[in-house]
Amino acid sequence: MSLDLQKILESKSALRRKLAARPVGEKLRMLDALRERELAIRGRPVPTDSRAVHEEAAPIRKKRVK
Amino acid sequence: MAIKEVIQAINQMQADGVVERYAVGGAVGATFYLEPVATLDVDIFAGFKSEPGSLMVNPQPIFDYLKERGCAMEGEYVVIGGWPVQFLPAGTPLVEEALRQSVNKDVDGTPVCVFTAEHLAAIALQTGRAKDKARLLQFIEAGALDAAGFQAILARHSLLDAWRKFERQFLSDIP
Repeated sequence: MSLDLQKILESKSALRRKLAARPVGEKLRMLDALRERELAIRGRPVPTDSRAVHEEAAPIRKKRVK
Repeated sequence: MAIKEVIQAINQMQADGVVERYAVGGAVGATFYLEPVATLDVDIFAGFKSEPGSLMVNPQPIFDYLKERGCAMEGEYVVIGGWPVQFLPAGTPLVEEALRQSVNKDVDGTPVCVFTAEHLAAIALQTGRAKDKARLLQFIEAGALDAAGFQAILARHSLLDAWRKFERQFLSDIP
């Protein structure tokens, strides 16, 4: 890992190129997943019949106050 | 929730003669050429059938067709496969041309009609909101545009001044 900004920008650019080059069907499924995530963040209900691949957030644990 | 369901529904709608021609635009259209960027809706540009003797474009047959097939309406949107879909007429000469020259693509065996990268970029320049400018920059940085084709579109639709301004703002090394 490097903190060289130029290298970081180059690696971001390479990732974007790699994503852009993915098959379009896969990119559209990414849009499905991105939209679900965006709606979840905004607090709107996400349709339950979703078939998009998604990640469940870990439950938030409350800190014990002594 | 799947964009592919939207494409399949619109293909069926076209096969049933409800729309003459359609093309995917906006962020979903851009995804055919660029990396995916989060969006909340799907823009479908369509050639609406006009009533005989009327110059008005009428999207009502589209809404009626989709409502009959169980799609819900949300304001100006029709919800298909969980996605709000907005049907837009070809309201400017640029969009009319983009619709005429749209290209056929394939999504896992499903055909779909999409604006060309050059038209998507020109429409972004013409629309000119912050997110449109960001998209135009994405097209340029990704090298996704045919420069000669893009310039020709800009010239045909009087967008060369807007382009020069955009170049000065975002593509010039001189502060």
